[in-house]
Amino acid sequence: MVVGAGVSGLECARALARAGHDVLVIDKARGVGGRCATRRIEGQPVDHGLAFLHGSDPGFLAALDAVAADGAGTPLEGWPAAVQGSGSPCQPDAFAPGERRVAFAEGVSAFPKHLARELRVRLQTRVTALGLAGLRLALELDDGGRIDAETVVLALPLEQARELLATLPAGIADLDGVRALLSMLGTLPCLTVMAGYPPEIGAAVPFDLCYPAGSRALQLVAHDSAKRAAPAQCVMVYQARPAWSRERLEAEPSQWAPELLEAAAGLCGTWTAQPLWHQTHRWRFARVDRGSELAGPVVVQFPGGARLALAGESFAPGGGVEAAFLSGRRLAARLHEEFA
Amino acid sequence: MTSVTAGLQHLVERDRDHECEGYGPNHLCVRLVGAADLPTRFGEFSIVAFWNNRDAKEHVAIVRGDVRDREQVPCRVHSECLTGDALGSLRCDCRDQLEAALRRIGELPQGIVLYMRQEGRGIGLINKVRAYALQDRGLDTVEANLALGFRDDERDYAIAAHMIHSLGVKSIRLMTNNPQKVEQLQQYGIEVDGRDPHILPPNPHNLFYLQTKANRSGHFIDFAGKPHLAEQGDWVRVEGMPERIPEEE
Ligand SMILES: Cc1cc2nc3c(=O)[nH]c(=O)nc-3n(C[C@H](O)[C@H](O)[C@H](O)COP(=O)(O)OP(=O)(O)OC[C@H]3O[C@@H](n4cnc5c(N)ncnc54)[C@H](O)[C@@H]3O)c2cc1C
Ligand SMILES: [Zn+2]
Ligand SMILES: [Zn+2]
Repeated sequence: MVVGAGVSGLECARALARAGHDVLVIDKARGVGGRCATRRIEGQPVDHGLAFLHGSDPGFLAALDAVAADGAGTPLEGWPAAVQGSGSPCQPDAFAPGERRVAFAEGVSAFPKHLARELRVRLQTRVTALGLAGLRLALELDDGGRIDAETVVLALPLEQARELLATLPAGIADLDGVRALLSMLGTLPCLTVMAGYPPEIGAAVPFDLCYPAGSRALQLVAHDSAKRAAPAQCVMVYQARPAWSRERLEAEPSQWAPELLEAAAGLCGTWTAQPLWHQTHRWRFARVDRGSELAGPVVVQFPGGARLALAGESFAPGGGVEAAFLSGRRLAARLHEEFA
Repeated sequence: MTSVTAGLQHLVERDRDHECEGYGPNHLCVRLVGAADLPTRFGEFSIVAFWNNRDAKEHVAIVRGDVRDREQVPCRVHSECLTGDALGSLRCDCRDQLEAALRRIGELPQGIVLYMRQEGRGIGLINKVRAYALQDRGLDTVEANLALGFRDDERDYAIAAHMIHSLGVKSIRLMTNNPQKVEQLQQYGIEVDGRDPHILPPNPHNLFYLQTKANRSGHFIDFAGKPHLAEQGDWVRVEGMPERIPEEE
């Protein structure tokens, strides 16, 4: 049983399924992918989570290559090509030598969709609590249902995993240790605005991605429609810095979205502040930085044999979507070995 | 410059465009890139700095005497421990272990201490501080420590093996209480001609090893109530302790 259909959960489930295990993935959202997210606005895909995928691990790169091979997505190799600004990227390693970057014309969610292709996924189901049911673990669901399993993988942002772990009783040493460990780590928030402009504006935007230096508000400006073939509109995505996001996290979007657009106006030109439309997204848990990085996934063994395991972007070195993928793969290998 | 350092300088020149297929699955390759005299309070040594093709960690060898083409050169592999080596922390025994190795080799005609610049067996300083924080709360469990990265890193042995090979020794005697380390180096083609136990002289800070038993997870609890992890990947052995104490963690 895997809770969370993000990249880490899907890869873990896929590797377990390949090894012959019967796996079910549960996610509260309407689609798979988690933070590897694309929504459609007026028929056009918009990546409102991470803007592109990057990595150097051969296994991860092979999985990216397979997306095109099974027809799930059209890769844009090397995107972003035009990168401006001397601000720091969300993932400093993204532009290191040897790192491959890729986006998809259909949106970055083509990747998780590909990973999920042969998996049993139950969507729109939130796990609200965990419990012990005899020798197995029980999951309580928001629809009032309950399922149990011998092995449960939590592939969630740290804070959401911690919340579920808190519903289990104390007194199991490894579990207490892991809970204490997670309380030392944290995920950064990111307020995001997506905005649409007339298509002719797109031709004048001189970059794919811009990391502005010296802005307290803006971390990243992505020219999202540059990833689309013959886009009907120009779409920009603005990602806010962690501290700025934290200060406004509980506020209404109407209180921060105009401010973020204004900040972009100072950077790219006044046109940015007058979009045809805009939408917002509040990533309460967007990404981890180097300070919240662990060496590998975690498996807690309960007396009687039930196992509770953790994967996700924090559970492999490097952070970001590649770490999420690798944590899922490593966890599956460990669970499989210990089954035998 | 001593004649020993002058000899090492030749190896630096030899290595200038060294490139091999590398050691281990990650194809690790190192080059000697600098050598100088290093007089220490433990005796006369030379220090050799290495470059590697994997990361920015600058590993060094502290070399005593002319080790080229020698057999049975005493060798100790030490993992950097900022808190112990430099700050004198009593949460581990790294500094005692390092000093014992340098003192012992300082009295011999030849020997090598490899000083590997990875904090606490690859755990990283940030996560080591977190491991200590868990210990302070009595919560340093196996899984938490595993997640923090407390483990033997196969990569270290590949680099160490290449370093030993590059120094031109024919065979070594490994100073360790952990026989697994011998095998790991042999795997990479190093001729290990025996193992010498690494025994620490007793001092007020390590007396507890003689007076208490290891707990279930193999940790000794010191006078201050802090568990001592085997940060060097090596059982601690204080004079008077029997060979091979705590059983598997
Ligand atoms: C704005 C933004 C920018 C980013 N930039 C980069 C970048 O430049 N480079 C990079 O590498 N990474 C970046 N990331 C991070 C990257 O997207 C993540 O590291 C990766 O996608 C995380 O995958 P995951 O599987 O660990 O978690 P997630 O993708 O978060 O998956 C968790 C899933 O669990 C589900 N879930 C949560 N709670 C429950 C519950 N109780 N019951 C059921 N389901 C639940 C969620 O719906 C979600 O689908 C960025 C992220 C954001 C948001
Ligand atoms: Zn080499
Ligand atoms: Zn130490």
